[in-house]
Amino acid sequence: MMDASVRLRRPAWLRAWGVALVPLFLTAAYLGLVWSPQDVNQGNLIRIMYAHVSVAWIGFVAVGLTALFGALYLWRGKRRDDVLAVASGEMALLFSALTIIGGMTYSRPTLNTFWTWDAKLTLTALMVALLVGYFIVRALIDDPVRRGRVSAVVAIIVAASLPFNYLAAEWFRTLHPSRAIALDGSGVTMAPEMLFTLLFNTVVAGLVYAWFMVDRARLGRIEAQLEAERAERELASVPSGGVVRV
Amino acid sequence: MKRRVARRLGIAPRRVVYALLGIGVLGVAGFMISQALNTALVYFILPNEYAQEPAQYENRRIRLGGLVAPESVAFNDQDLQLTFLVTDGIQSYRVEHVGAPPELFRENAGVVIEGSFDADVFVSDKLLIKHSEVYEAPEDGHIDIEELRRSLQ
Repeated sequence: MMDASVRLRRPAWLRAWGVALVPLFLTAAYLGLVWSPQDVNQGNLIRIMYAHVSVAWIGFVAVGLTALFGALYLWRGKRRDDVLAVASGEMALLFSALTIIGGMTYSRPTLNTFWTWDAKLTLTALMVALLVGYFIVRALIDDPVRRGRVSAVVAIIVAASLPFNYLAAEWFRTLHPSRAIALDGSGVTMAPEMLFTLLFNTVVAGLVYAWFMVDRARLGRIEAQLEAERAERELASVPSGGVVRV
Repeated sequence: MKRRVARRLGIAPRRVVYALLGIGVLGVAGFMISQALNTALVYFILPNEYAQEPAQYENRRIRLGGLVAPESVAFNDQDLQLTFLVTDGIQSYRVEHVGAPPELFRENAGVVIEGSFDADVFVSDKLLIKHSEVYEAPEDGHIDIEELRRSLQ
């Protein structure tokens, strides 16, 4: 029996948010593909940057939030936190994979290669591999509590690589260009229209991430409830007097 | 003592130990990652670094990084021979590369070339661009392709 507290329908506000994403996405694409000026060196190739960098940033945020919810699960043991961690983790894997695909697309015409093993690219490849590992680990463990704990540790390890990845081009010699925007506000080496286009694209990418994450968490809560009910049914079906090992 | 701290924080003492251990392990892992990346993943060396110890790089495939020196570029489109000087401002070397120059290749552009030294000439078979983090619009709103082409003559 489904608990009445779990609603199966996507709530109206979530549907409205999803619909609003369509014009926002189209506006972001227009800004990047048409409105933004060409770059003095790269010409029209700069337009790929808006998709690559915005997706990469949100991928980092997604990895960070996966680890944060994982840490919360380790701390308080609430199933809700594990559900949020998975929802964010799936988007983290998707956005990291898109970062690599977009990066290769951007890199071939500008840097003259699809791929090279410099520090930044290597760390990003490692991040994708570890995120795949996160889901392999989850699939291998049946006990929900152990599954949540082990995968949370994996998520925290992935997140530990984020600062190295983010600052790789400053800390190590890489082929990948350095950051054009310093988060401490010390400098932006990007034309104002380009900066606006990039930030707009990043906000939209963030809203896309958040929408899928919220909706996936909604499904995750239903899944968790079904899993708990199935476990209860199995317990009830054991003949009285039998020993149950859980 | 441990228990008292834990009680004051309102959490089980074991979890505090695990949390502290976890932070410690992450710190050590982070330190090791940074060390490994620092020594093993120096993506390219600069011309002046090569000049200091050429013997160390003898008969070895290396990556050399620097800027394309102004007025040093020559390209023969018959046999695709590209020659230029790569410089870090201290030391420069002549580079011989077979293949068409990439789109963003020009004077003062950052490059990373792969290959090995033959005497004092760097023979490259892979030419990569390392562009700067400066993104700006051209002054008159469009790019003069002809000017770019001229800079490559």
